[in-house]
Amino acid sequence: MTQDNRSGRPQGRPPEGDGRVSRVEASLRGPFLLFFVSAVVWLLAASVLGVLAALDLGSLQGGFFRDCPWFTPGRVAAARQDLFVYGWGFNAFFALNLWLLAQLGRFEFRNGWLAQLGGVAWNLALTYGVARVFAGEMGAFRLLDFPREVGPVLAVAFLLAGFWPIVAFARRPTGHTFASQWFVVGASFAFPLIYLLAQLLVLWQPASGVVQAVAHSWFVANLLQLWFGASALAAIYYFLPKVLERTLSAYYLAPVAFWTFFLFAGWTGPAALVGSPVPLWLQSTGVVAAAMMLIPVVIVAINVHGTLFSQGGWARAWNDTTLRFVSFGAVAFTLAGVLGSVFAFRSGSALVRFTSFATGLEQLLVYGCATMVVFGASYFILPRLTGALWPSAKLVHAHFWATALGFAGALVAWLVGGWQTGQLLANPAVASADVLRAESSWFLVLTISAVLLLVGHVAFALNAFGMILKSSAPADAGRHD
Amino acid sequence: MPAVTTNRTPTMKNLNTLLAGVFLAVALPFGALVLSGQAQLGGLGRAAGEEGGALFPAREPGQAIQGRAVYVSLGCVSCHTQQVRPAGQGSDIARGLGVRPSVARDYALQPQVLLGERRLGPDLANYGARSSKINVETLLTDPASSGAAWHPSYRFVDAAQRAALVAYLKSLRQDYPSPEAKLKK
Repeated sequence: MTQDNRSGRPQGRPPEGDGRVSRVEASLRGPFLLFFVSAVVWLLAASVLGVLAALDLGSLQGGFFRDCPWFTPGRVAAARQDLFVYGWGFNAFFALNLWLLAQLGRFEFRNGWLAQLGGVAWNLALTYGVARVFAGEMGAFRLLDFPREVGPVLAVAFLLAGFWPIVAFARRPTGHTFASQWFVVGASFAFPLIYLLAQLLVLWQPASGVVQAVAHSWFVANLLQLWFGASALAAIYYFLPKVLERTLSAYYLAPVAFWTFFLFAGWTGPAALVGSPVPLWLQSTGVVAAAMMLIPVVIVAINVHGTLFSQGGWARAWNDTTLRFVSFGAVAFTLAGVLGSVFAFRSGSALVRFTSFATGLEQLLVYGCATMVVFGASYFILPRLTGALWPSAKLVHAHFWATALGFAGALVAWLVGGWQTGQLLANPAVASADVLRAESSWFLVLTISAVLLLVGHVAFALNAFGMILKSSAPADAGRHD
Repeated sequence: MPAVTTNRTPTMKNLNTLLAGVFLAVALPFGALVLSGQAQLGGLGRAAGEEGGALFPAREPGQAIQGRAVYVSLGCVSCHTQQVRPAGQGSDIARGLGVRPSVARDYALQPQVLLGERRLGPDLANYGARSSKINVETLLTDPASSGAAWHPSYRFVDAAQRAALVAYLKSLRQDYPSPEAKLKK
């Protein structure tokens, strides 16, 4: 055994805290709480819109929102997605990624105000963009539908708010690195590149014709995998061994998982365009890359599930709030990866094309994996940061069960409903109206799920905000809610 | 001795190597997929299906261009696609959504390409070719009476914009011959 013993800890396990950790965490408090509180506020807004969108879908027939321009289905759906991804997803991972790398690199954050400035700019630009979407001034491509002046502001805000993990990595006192650090550095560096290139080719200097659709598919795949996927993996790799106090099984494979993940994820976009009027070689490249994604997915499964399956890991994970959420996320990641690869192949993707199946796969990664992992991480981090305890155990249970059941219900509706719809669509004898009628039987499930998710998020917000307000905050930190 | 692998791998410790790797992981697919896509398709313009025939796709009337903006602003793309897949992938042609698969040239003149990803409502790539019997205006303002009870109502859209939207929808058609997709009749 060589360097790992000299570094004083086993491989496959993040370092233990030392005396400086409290100073590290004290220095993070302000920016972390700003990001966290704004993330939760956006999550609540997105969940309310999620309920509206589900009602919109179910009550189109003479429904309540029928003649209201603000609640026309296209705008609600776009705004909900923007709020969830850019509001919740980014703020939450600004907080979590910063905390993770500060912790792993023993980084004392002296320029917290810069990150806070970035956070404020991000939230203002997002508010403006969503208001314009509601006003009907949105773009044609989802997740790039803000007016184009918002893009550069978000990019600069990202550099201010989301680049600090890389600084923390560069300044770490030890030579040693851990898997979580690679994934966070990769995510923090990849996103601004992806976002600027996509802005350029879709909004500022639009590519010609269907190349816009290719650029958009490239952007969406990168955003989902390299921001949500990589950030969530970083947290899974950290919290699993940390809370179980064990090393990850077959950790030596982790660098392969990291590099193959980043190597293949960027190519998977056009797999979503099978059958579209874009060159076949583009579609095939996407399909091949999506199949290759099985390599990192399998390695992550070996690392993560291998650890959970040994020495009663599942039982311990179930009894720990953090790990219950995190292992839920790990299972969702594996499921998303396997289904994503299997349904990238032409026969499968032709069948489920244009149905809710793709939504299901996407939500499996963005909600089932990333969001649940952030929830789990919050249960670990917030007590340490605020020095307070979670006010209510009942609300913790309500949070887990409402989100887990709500998500599972919606997932079944998206995947099974999408599969059914695909089979009806493939049969030309079934009239379009009958296809929609069959699909509408799932709308009730989706509505109940959306309400359950909202309930879970409200429970989480009450608990978290109560805790933050109760904690004895120094005058200069926190309190941005 | 599994531990040695990661500990001796300099790539996992050196920030510059890490960033360079991630940069390539983003830049290579962007170049290979998006930029070469642009190189391949960027020059597409109007073309005649047969020698000496009329050039297609036809230029859009001004009102249809305004109508596209209304279509985008209402988020129609979240429920309607505008693409006909080739036979063997879905039943688009058998279903009567078009007489031939869509090809890249069909979209060459469009400032915003609205292919769509979700088909909650029917595909609209050839709506203009089959809407002659439908009162599109009524469908938008009072969907229930035109047998499209599931469709949202767009009474709140002002009359000029609605007229532009109707003109746009009626302009959508891919039933002309093109060099890539010869009509098999």
